[in-house]
Amino acid sequence: MLTNLFTSTTIPVLEEVAKFSQLRHTTLAGNIANLDTPGYKFRDLSVDDFQSRLQEAIETRRQPANPYRAGRYAPHGEPAHAMAADEPHTILYHDKSNVELEQQVSEMVKNHMQHNLALTVMNQQFRLLSTAISGRL
Amino acid sequence: MFPALDISTSGLAAQRIRMNAQSSNIANISTTHNERGEPEAYQPRFVVFQTDESVGAHGAAGVRVASVEIADVEPIWRYEPHHPDAVKEGPHAGYVAYPNVNMMTEFTDALEAARAYEANLGVIDITKDMQNQTLRILA
Amino acid sequence: MNPIQGIQPLPPSVTALSGGPNASGGGKSFNDFLLDSIHQVNAMQQDADRAVENLFSGGEANPAEVLTAVQKADVAFRMMLQVRNKMVAAFEEVQNLRI
Repeated sequence: MLTNLFTSTTIPVLEEVAKFSQLRHTTLAGNIANLDTPGYKFRDLSVDDFQSRLQEAIETRRQPANPYRAGRYAPHGEPAHAMAADEPHTILYHDKSNVELEQQVSEMVKNHMQHNLALTVMNQQFRLLSTAISGRL
Repeated sequence: MFPALDISTSGLAAQRIRMNAQSSNIANISTTHNERGEPEAYQPRFVVFQTDESVGAHGAAGVRVASVEIADVEPIWRYEPHHPDAVKEGPHAGYVAYPNVNMMTEFTDALEAARAYEANLGVIDITKDMQNQTLRILA
Repeated sequence: MNPIQGIQPLPPSVTALSGGPNASGGGKSFNDFLLDSIHQVNAMQQDADRAVENLFSGGEANPAEVLTAVQKADVAFRMMLQVRNKMVAAFEEVQNLRI
Protein backbone atom coordinates (compact mmCIF):
# COMPACT_ATOMS: atom_id res chain seq x y z
CA MET A 1 0.00 0.00 0.00
CA LEU A 2 2.72 2.44 0.85
CA THR A 3 4.55 2.09 -2.47
CA ASN A 4 1.26 2.44 -4.35
CA LEU A 5 0.88 5.80 -2.69
CA PHE A 6 3.61 7.15 -4.95
CA THR A 7 3.03 5.15 -8.10
CA SER A 8 -0.37 6.77 -8.53
CA THR A 9 1.31 10.16 -8.92
CA THR A 10 3.86 11.31 -11.45
CA ILE A 11 6.64 11.14 -8.85
CA PRO A 12 8.44 8.06 -10.29
CA VAL A 13 8.49 9.62 -13.76
CA LEU A 14 9.90 12.87 -12.42
CA GLU A 15 12.49 11.00 -10.40
CA GLU A 16 13.73 9.24 -13.55
CA VAL A 17 13.91 12.53 -15.43
CA ALA A 18 15.90 14.16 -12.62
CA LYS A 19 18.31 11.20 -12.43
CA PHE A 20 18.86 11.19 -16.17
CA SER A 21 19.48 14.92 -16.35
CA GLN A 22 22.06 14.69 -13.58
CA LEU A 23 23.91 11.94 -15.44
CA ARG A 24 23.78 13.93 -18.65
CA HIS A 25 25.08 17.00 -16.83
CA THR A 26 28.17 15.04 -15.79
CA THR A 27 28.80 13.98 -19.37
CA LEU A 28 28.43 17.52 -20.71
CA ALA A 29 30.74 18.84 -17.97
CA GLY A 30 33.32 16.34 -19.22
CA ASN A 31 32.96 17.76 -22.73
CA ILE A 32 33.57 21.30 -21.56
CA ALA A 33 36.59 20.26 -19.47
CA ASN A 34 38.03 18.61 -22.60
CA LEU A 35 37.50 21.66 -24.81
CA ASP A 36 41.12 21.92 -25.80
CA THR A 37 42.11 18.28 -25.73
CA PRO A 38 43.24 17.25 -29.19
CA GLY A 39 41.41 14.27 -30.68
CA TYR A 40 38.55 14.34 -28.16
CA LYS A 41 35.13 13.60 -29.64
CA PHE A 42 32.22 14.85 -27.62
CA ARG A 43 30.08 12.38 -25.71
CA ASP A 44 26.42 12.71 -24.88
CA LEU A 45 23.57 10.65 -23.48
CA SER A 46 20.78 10.11 -25.97
CA VAL A 47 17.77 12.15 -24.92
CA ASP A 48 15.48 10.64 -27.56
CA ASP A 49 16.34 7.16 -26.39
CA PHE A 50 15.57 8.07 -22.78
CA GLN A 51 12.29 9.70 -23.70
CA SER A 52 11.07 6.75 -25.75
CA ARG A 53 11.96 4.32 -22.96
CA LEU A 54 10.21 6.56 -20.46
CA GLN A 55 7.13 6.56 -22.69
CA GLU A 56 7.19 2.77 -22.83
CA ALA A 57 7.52 2.47 -19.07
CA ILE A 58 4.58 4.84 -18.59
CA GLU A 59 2.43 2.77 -20.95
CA THR A 60 3.37 -0.45 -19.15
CA ARG A 61 2.49 1.04 -15.83
CA ARG A 62 -0.90 2.20 -17.05
CA GLN A 63 -2.05 -1.24 -18.19
CA PRO A 64 -2.00 -3.61 -15.23
CA ALA A 65 -2.04 -6.59 -17.59
CA ASN A 66 0.86 -8.20 -15.78
CA PRO A 67 -0.36 -8.74 -12.21
CA TYR A 68 3.16 -8.74 -10.82
CA ARG A 69 3.95 -5.41 -12.36
CA ALA A 70 0.62 -3.77 -11.57
CA GLY A 71 1.29 -0.85 -9.32
CA ARG A 72 5.07 -1.19 -9.50
CA TYR A 73 6.93 1.24 -11.66
CA ALA A 74 9.24 -0.69 -13.95
CA PRO A 75 12.79 0.45 -13.21
CA HIS A 76 14.90 2.00 -15.91
CA GLY A 77 18.37 0.61 -15.80
CA GLU A 78 21.38 2.60 -16.88
CA PRO A 79 20.64 5.00 -19.71
CA ALA A 80 22.45 4.19 -22.90
CA HIS A 81 25.68 6.05 -23.47
CA ALA A 82 25.60 7.30 -27.01
CA MET A 83 29.03 8.12 -28.34
CA ALA A 84 27.94 10.95 -30.58
CA ALA A 85 30.80 10.94 -33.05
CA ASP A 86 30.78 13.06 -36.19
CA GLU A 87 27.52 14.92 -35.77
CA PRO A 88 26.80 16.67 -39.09
CA HIS A 89 26.36 20.12 -37.60
CA THR A 90 29.73 20.35 -35.90
CA ILE A 91 32.99 20.88 -37.70
CA LEU A 92 36.16 18.90 -37.18
CA TYR A 93 38.83 21.27 -35.97
CA HIS A 94 42.45 20.99 -37.01
CA ASP A 95 43.32 19.21 -33.78
CA LYS A 96 40.71 16.53 -34.56
CA SER A 97 38.39 17.56 -31.73
CA ASN A 98 34.81 18.47 -32.58
CA VAL A 99 33.62 20.15 -29.41
CA GLU A 100 31.93 23.50 -29.94
CA LEU A 101 31.67 25.50 -26.75
CA GLU A 102 28.42 27.26 -27.64
CA GLN A 103 26.63 24.03 -28.50
CA GLN A 104 27.79 22.31 -25.31
CA VAL A 105 26.74 25.26 -23.17
CA SER A 106 23.30 25.41 -24.77
CA GLU A 107 22.79 21.66 -24.27
CA MET A 108 23.83 22.04 -20.66
CA VAL A 109 21.44 24.92 -20.06
CA LYS A 110 18.54 23.01 -21.64
CA ASN A 111 19.36 20.00 -19.52
CA HIS A 112 19.50 22.20 -16.43
CA MET A 113 16.08 23.68 -17.13
CA GLN A 114 14.61 20.23 -17.64
CA HIS A 115 16.08 19.10 -14.33
CA ASN A 116 14.70 22.10 -12.44
CA LEU A 117 11.28 21.70 -14.06
CA ALA A 118 11.10 18.05 -13.02
CA LEU A 119 12.12 18.85 -9.47
CA THR A 120 9.68 21.74 -9.15
CA VAL A 121 6.76 19.58 -10.20
CA MET A 122 7.99 16.81 -7.91
CA ASN A 123 8.03 19.18 -4.95
CA GLN A 124 4.48 20.22 -5.72
CA GLN A 125 3.37 16.58 -5.85
CA PHE A 126 4.95 15.88 -2.48
CA ARG A 127 3.33 18.94 -0.97
CA LEU A 128 -0.04 17.84 -2.31
CA LEU A 129 0.39 14.39 -0.80
CA SER A 130 1.31 15.95 2.55
CA THR A 131 -1.76 18.16 2.41
CA ALA A 132 -4.01 15.21 1.62
CA ILE A 133 -2.51 13.11 4.39
CA SER A 134 -2.74 15.77 7.06
CA GLY A 135 -6.18 16.97 6.02
CA ARG A 136 -5.17 20.51 6.87
CA LEU A 137 -4.47 23.07 4.14
CA MET B 1 29.36 11.97 -5.01
CA PHE B 2 29.59 14.88 -7.43
CA PRO B 3 31.58 13.68 -10.42
CA ALA B 4 30.61 16.77 -12.39
CA LEU B 5 32.46 18.92 -9.88
CA ASP B 6 35.59 16.78 -10.14
CA ILE B 7 35.48 16.96 -13.92
CA SER B 8 35.13 20.75 -13.97
CA THR B 9 37.90 21.10 -11.42
CA SER B 10 40.22 19.03 -13.58
CA GLY B 11 39.38 21.38 -16.45
CA LEU B 12 40.20 24.41 -14.32
CA ALA B 13 43.50 22.93 -13.19
CA ALA B 14 44.52 22.00 -16.74
CA GLN B 15 43.75 25.47 -18.11
CA ARG B 16 45.67 27.05 -15.25
CA ILE B 17 48.76 24.97 -16.08
CA ARG B 18 48.39 26.03 -19.70
CA MET B 19 48.21 29.64 -18.58
CA ASN B 20 51.39 29.15 -16.55
CA ALA B 21 53.22 27.91 -19.62
CA GLN B 22 52.04 30.90 -21.65
CA SER B 23 53.01 33.37 -18.90
CA SER B 24 56.41 31.77 -18.77
CA ASN B 25 56.79 32.17 -22.53
CA ILE B 26 55.78 35.83 -22.51
CA ALA B 27 57.96 36.63 -19.51
CA ASN B 28 60.97 35.05 -21.17
CA ILE B 29 60.56 36.68 -24.53
CA SER B 30 63.99 38.28 -24.35
CA THR B 31 65.86 35.69 -22.34
CA THR B 32 69.16 34.97 -23.98
CA HIS B 33 70.93 32.76 -21.48
CA ASN B 34 69.86 29.93 -19.24
CA GLU B 35 70.16 29.56 -15.46
CA ARG B 36 73.74 28.35 -15.73
CA GLY B 37 74.78 31.53 -17.46
CA GLU B 38 75.48 29.88 -20.80
CA PRO B 39 74.22 31.67 -23.87
CA GLU B 40 71.14 29.75 -24.92
CA ALA B 41 67.83 31.12 -26.17
CA TYR B 42 64.74 30.29 -24.14
CA GLN B 43 62.66 27.58 -25.82
CA PRO B 44 58.89 28.13 -25.56
CA ARG B 45 56.93 25.66 -23.49
CA PHE B 46 53.57 24.18 -24.48
CA VAL B 47 51.19 21.81 -22.68
CA VAL B 48 49.70 18.59 -24.00
CA PHE B 49 46.17 17.83 -22.77
CA GLN B 50 44.82 14.33 -22.39
CA THR B 51 41.41 12.95 -21.51
CA ASP B 52 41.49 11.57 -17.98
CA GLU B 53 39.13 8.65 -17.55
CA SER B 54 39.96 8.25 -13.86
CA VAL B 55 38.13 11.50 -13.06
CA GLY B 56 34.41 11.31 -13.74
CA ALA B 57 31.82 8.59 -14.00
CA HIS B 58 29.31 6.93 -16.35
CA GLY B 59 31.36 7.53 -19.44
CA ALA B 60 32.17 11.15 -18.75
CA ALA B 61 35.83 11.99 -18.37
CA GLY B 62 37.93 14.85 -17.09
CA VAL B 63 41.15 16.25 -18.49
CA ARG B 64 44.76 16.29 -17.37
CA VAL B 65 48.01 17.75 -18.57
CA ALA B 66 49.96 14.82 -20.01
CA SER B 67 53.21 16.74 -20.21
CA VAL B 68 54.74 20.17 -20.55
CA GLU B 69 56.81 19.97 -23.71
CA ILE B 70 59.65 22.23 -24.74
CA ALA B 71 59.25 23.33 -28.31
CA ASP B 72 62.25 22.61 -30.45
CA VAL B 73 62.34 25.69 -32.63
CA GLU B 74 65.20 27.55 -34.20
CA PRO B 75 65.93 30.75 -32.23
CA ILE B 76 65.92 34.17 -33.85
CA TRP B 77 69.42 35.36 -34.59
CA ARG B 78 70.31 39.05 -34.24
CA TYR B 79 73.62 40.61 -34.99
CA GLU B 80 74.91 42.19 -31.78
CA PRO B 81 78.65 41.60 -31.56
CA HIS B 82 79.05 43.55 -28.30
CA HIS B 83 76.36 41.57 -26.45
CA PRO B 84 77.85 39.33 -23.72
CA ASP B 85 75.82 36.38 -25.06
CA ALA B 86 77.00 36.74 -28.62
CA VAL B 87 78.39 33.58 -30.15
CA LYS B 88 82.19 33.76 -30.33
CA GLU B 89 82.90 31.60 -33.31
CA GLY B 90 81.21 29.49 -35.91
CA PRO B 91 78.60 30.33 -38.55
CA HIS B 92 76.70 32.58 -36.12
CA ALA B 93 79.71 34.54 -34.85
CA GLY B 94 78.60 37.88 -33.45
CA TYR B 95 74.94 36.85 -33.39
CA VAL B 96 72.78 36.55 -30.26
CA ALA B 97 70.10 33.84 -30.09
CA TYR B 98 66.73 35.32 -29.05
CA PRO B 99 63.75 33.14 -28.17
CA ASN B 100 61.38 32.40 -31.00
CA VAL B 101 58.28 33.43 -29.03
CA ASN B 102 55.53 35.11 -30.99
CA MET B 103 53.78 37.54 -28.65
CA MET B 104 50.55 37.54 -30.64
CA THR B 105 50.26 33.76 -30.64
CA GLU B 106 50.90 33.55 -26.94
CA PHE B 107 48.36 36.26 -26.15
CA THR B 108 45.67 34.64 -28.27
CA ASP B 109 46.34 31.31 -26.61
CA ALA B 110 46.13 32.96 -23.22
CA LEU B 111 42.76 34.46 -24.15
CA GLU B 112 41.51 31.04 -25.13
CA ALA B 113 42.75 29.53 -21.89
CA ALA B 114 40.89 32.25 -20.00
CA ARG B 115 37.72 31.54 -22.00
CA ALA B 116 37.93 27.83 -21.27
CA TYR B 117 38.56 28.59 -17.59
CA GLU B 118 35.42 30.72 -17.46
CA ALA B 119 33.40 28.04 -19.21
CA ASN B 120 34.39 25.51 -16.56
CA LEU B 121 33.48 28.01 -13.84
CA GLY B 122 30.04 28.39 -15.44
CA VAL B 123 29.58 24.64 -15.39
CA ILE B 124 30.42 24.59 -11.68
CA ASP B 125 27.72 27.20 -11.09
CA ILE B 126 25.14 25.08 -12.85
CA THR B 127 26.24 21.98 -10.91
CA LYS B 128 25.80 23.83 -7.63
CA ASP B 129 22.35 25.03 -8.65
CA MET B 130 21.25 21.52 -9.60
CA GLN B 131 22.42 20.18 -6.24
CA ASN B 132 20.57 22.94 -4.38
CA GLN B 133 17.39 22.23 -6.30
CA THR B 134 17.71 18.56 -5.46
CA LEU B 135 18.11 19.42 -1.78
CA ARG B 136 14.80 21.25 -1.91
CA ILE B 137 12.96 17.97 -2.26
CA LEU B 138 13.42 17.57 1.45
CA ALA B 139 12.38 21.09 2.39
CA MET C 1 -9.57 47.00 -20.40
CA ASN C 2 -12.86 45.77 -19.10
CA PRO C 3 -15.13 48.45 -17.62
CA ILE C 4 -15.86 47.92 -13.97
CA GLN C 5 -19.19 46.18 -13.63
CA GLY C 6 -21.63 46.13 -10.81
CA ILE C 7 -22.03 43.06 -8.65
CA GLN C 8 -23.58 40.27 -10.69
CA PRO C 9 -26.49 38.22 -9.41
CA LEU C 10 -25.51 34.79 -8.16
CA PRO C 11 -24.99 32.19 -10.89
CA PRO C 12 -27.85 29.71 -11.25
CA SER C 13 -25.82 26.71 -10.00
CA VAL C 14 -25.56 28.26 -6.54
CA THR C 15 -29.24 29.21 -6.31
CA ALA C 16 -30.22 25.71 -7.30
CA LEU C 17 -28.14 24.44 -4.39
CA SER C 18 -30.10 26.33 -1.78
CA GLY C 19 -33.22 24.40 -2.75
CA GLY C 20 -31.23 21.14 -2.92
CA PRO C 21 -31.81 18.99 0.13
CA ASN C 22 -35.46 20.03 0.31
CA ALA C 23 -36.29 19.46 -3.34
CA SER C 24 -36.57 15.70 -3.62
CA GLY C 25 -37.91 15.33 -7.14
CA GLY C 26 -36.43 17.83 -9.56
CA GLY C 27 -32.87 19.09 -9.88
CA LYS C 28 -29.63 17.70 -8.57
CA SER C 29 -29.33 16.88 -4.90
CA PHE C 30 -26.41 18.10 -2.86
CA ASN C 31 -25.13 14.55 -2.80
CA ASP C 32 -24.91 14.38 -6.59
CA PHE C 33 -23.35 17.81 -6.72
CA LEU C 34 -20.70 16.71 -4.27
CA LEU C 35 -19.90 13.48 -6.10
CA ASP C 36 -19.71 15.38 -9.37
CA SER C 37 -17.22 17.79 -7.91
CA ILE C 38 -15.08 14.97 -6.61
CA HIS C 39 -15.05 13.36 -10.04
CA GLN C 40 -14.16 16.68 -11.61
CA VAL C 41 -11.24 17.20 -9.26
CA ASN C 42 -10.05 13.68 -9.96
CA ALA C 43 -10.32 14.25 -13.70
CA MET C 44 -8.29 17.45 -13.40
CA GLN C 45 -5.60 15.61 -11.45
CA GLN C 46 -5.48 12.85 -14.08
CA ASP C 47 -5.24 15.40 -16.87
CA ALA C 48 -2.43 17.22 -15.12
CA ASP C 49 -0.58 13.92 -14.61
CA ARG C 50 -0.96 13.04 -18.30
CA ALA C 51 0.27 16.48 -19.30
CA VAL C 52 3.37 16.14 -17.11
CA GLU C 53 4.17 12.67 -18.46
CA ASN C 54 3.69 13.93 -22.00
CA LEU C 55 6.00 16.86 -21.42
CA PHE C 56 8.86 14.72 -20.15
CA SER C 57 8.60 11.87 -22.62
CA GLY C 58 9.08 14.02 -25.65
CA GLY C 59 5.59 15.23 -26.56
CA GLU C 60 5.23 18.78 -27.85
CA ALA C 61 3.75 20.11 -24.64
CA ASN C 62 4.17 23.71 -23.62
CA PRO C 63 5.71 23.89 -20.13
CA ALA C 64 3.56 26.88 -19.22
CA GLU C 65 0.37 25.00 -20.10
CA VAL C 66 1.47 21.94 -18.17
CA LEU C 67 2.43 23.88 -15.07
CA THR C 68 -0.84 25.83 -15.18
CA ALA C 69 -2.80 22.58 -15.42
CA VAL C 70 -0.87 21.18 -12.46
CA GLN C 71 -1.52 24.26 -10.39
CA LYS C 72 -5.22 24.32 -11.28
CA ALA C 73 -5.59 20.71 -10.21
CA ASP C 74 -3.75 21.55 -7.01
CA VAL C 75 -6.06 24.47 -6.18
CA ALA C 76 -9.16 22.45 -7.07
CA PHE C 77 -8.02 19.70 -4.74
CA ARG C 78 -7.39 22.12 -1.91
CA MET C 79 -10.81 23.66 -2.33
CA MET C 80 -12.39 20.20 -2.25
CA LEU C 81 -10.44 19.43 0.90
CA GLN C 82 -11.64 22.63 2.55
CA VAL C 83 -15.26 21.89 1.58
CA ARG C 84 -14.92 18.42 3.08
CA ASN C 85 -13.44 19.81 6.28
CA LYS C 86 -16.31 22.25 6.65
CA MET C 87 -18.83 19.50 6.07
CA VAL C 88 -17.25 17.26 8.67
CA ALA C 89 -17.18 20.16 11.13
CA ALA C 90 -20.86 20.91 10.44
CA PHE C 91 -21.74 17.24 10.89
CA GLU C 92 -19.93 17.06 14.20
CA GLU C 93 -21.62 20.21 15.37
CA VAL C 94 -25.02 18.75 14.53
CA GLN C 95 -24.06 15.54 16.32
CA ASN C 96 -23.14 17.42 19.46
CA LEU C 97 -26.53 19.12 19.69
CA ARG C 98 -28.23 18.12 22.86
CA ILE C 99 -31.71 16.90 22.08
